[in-house]
Amino acid sequence: MTWNLRRLLAGAVLAAWAALFWFVLLSGRTGLYLSTRTAWLVPAGAAILTVAALGRLASGRSGAPPPVRRSDLRGASLLVIPVIVLLALPASTLGTFALGRRPVFGVGATAPSGGLSSGTLSMVDVARAQATKEDLAALQHRNAETVVMVGFVATQPGEPSTEFMLSRFIITCCVADATETQVRVVDVPAGSARPNAWVQVTGRIYALGSQVIIDMTSMKPIPRPADPYLTG
Amino acid sequence: MTLRRTSNADEVSVTRRGTALDLPGDDAGRGNEPAGRTAFGVTVVLLLALATALRFGQPERFAWLQNFFVVFGAILLEAMPFVLIGAVASAVIEVFVPASAFERIGRLPTVLQLPCAAAAGMAFPICECGSVPVARRLLRRGLAPGAAVTFMLAAPILNPVVIASTVVAYHGRPDFWVVVLGRFTLGFIVAVAVGWVIGARRPDEVLRKGTIDPDDDDHSPDESRWSRFAGHIAGDFIFMGRFLVVGVAVAAAIQTVIPQTLVAKVAGLPVLSIVVMMALAFVLSLCSESDAFVAASFTQFGPAAQLAFLVTGPMIDIKLSALYAGTYSKGFLRAVLVTASVIILAGTLWAAVIWG
Repeated sequence: MTWNLRRLLAGAVLAAWAALFWFVLLSGRTGLYLSTRTAWLVPAGAAILTVAALGRLASGRSGAPPPVRRSDLRGASLLVIPVIVLLALPASTLGTFALGRRPVFGVGATAPSGGLSSGTLSMVDVARAQATKEDLAALQHRNAETVVMVGFVATQPGEPSTEFMLSRFIITCCVADATETQVRVVDVPAGSARPNAWVQVTGRIYALGSQVIIDMTSMKPIPRPADPYLTG
Repeated sequence: MTLRRTSNADEVSVTRRGTALDLPGDDAGRGNEPAGRTAFGVTVVLLLALATALRFGQPERFAWLQNFFVVFGAILLEAMPFVLIGAVASAVIEVFVPASAFERIGRLPTVLQLPCAAAAGMAFPICECGSVPVARRLLRRGLAPGAAVTFMLAAPILNPVVIASTVVAYHGRPDFWVVVLGRFTLGFIVAVAVGWVIGARRPDEVLRKGTIDPDDDDHSPDESRWSRFAGHIAGDFIFMGRFLVVGVAVAAAIQTVIPQTLVAKVAGLPVLSIVVMMALAFVLSLCSESDAFVAASFTQFGPAAQLAFLVTGPMIDIKLSALYAGTYSKGFLRAVLVTASVIILAGTLWAAVIWG
């Protein structure tokens, strides 16, 4: 019995993927790719891949092993490239580039949540208010209430410098199904909002027609949240 | 050089079925040449160069590239565990399920085989990435091609997780029953119909020639079951994974380049809206367990167009096309694309006439 290089190569590929899943899990990057609903896939993937890699490596000896072929090497390389990409790149998220290229969160698609009449308001509530008439009516009853909301800054050409769109993406399973939600922030000191920067805005909320605005009283820059996407 | 290798399982199925299921293991061409130290060295250097370029070249400066990598990583992290789960199921079928089980299924009349195969999908909570390796393994164990393909197409639509997600996404909407019942009924019909079309082919016409699991051809007969089990998991993962990587890269690139908001412009056009939603499902390559929430967000489109999106995606999309192309013959891919598209279009047009 000698070491079978093809089996070791397969085991190494599985180990590389296991390492990627462990890295995503331990570095807290799960939220950069998956929603809270599907976050379990990362620890599950890490565990299953680890077992699979160990299983392949443990059975890595055989009698008269065949040589590693070029096609094996090509296949293994192709599978290792995404691992390298995701390990080497710094953590990043969808930003202003994706705004306007993705559908708006469930306009008319969601059932009324019925939960906007009380409790703390969030960007998901704003999205729901822009999606159903019932939730919009519920939000209108809370006009002028003080809210604190987190999102990133998006500016549009021709927009007054004292306004910007506070933006978030809402995902169901992963970033590929992201939809966007935005609330207009007004009374912003000119030049204080930098595009793509994450901010926490405090102000009074108003649902006017189908548009929701926040009349800002204060704003502070914050680091990107651990879960930059909201789960819808 | 023609070695004409076949795995033990293939030999069993050839003998049993009396067909020419002969899968030469990458025997033809340069791919079969042993990789020397130079090839190993060059590969390692290229991969290290890529890592260095990504780490220090700051590609995230380009917003479109950052967008691409985020979507690419997200789909892969979501899909790969399911590919592995499919590989485990496939290895269980290969190593632990006796050949007699498939012979019993094969003795069922065709008219029962296909609906039974589709119904079996209900008990298999995996998405489309996991069902492809399972169907491939079923084929290699000698299951009739029609039944294996019907199972492969039905499982991602009819499984309990997808039923639940569709119910949740459309809960409280006036088109709830049209979309939910329509998805499962039309999905069932399309899966059986494609299986019926494929059923006329021999197994060796369905599986792509020149491909074999990387680990299938180095098992010795006296090897333990667990060693073979580990080998088949690794083999299926590597075989399917590389096609998935290509498919996901294309899907992420298209998601980055083409704004989804463009499709809203054709929402009011009866036939075109259905075709566009089918094309969108093909391009987005979403997991069948999440696509209902995305479909529900396209409210500019009527229930028929949303239905087209929900039935098309789990059966034919970019990442699946890459998996199909790597696993099955060219004729297979064409047959699935044409048959499924035509029936989905006809079914949803019929739904549009009735429900708008």
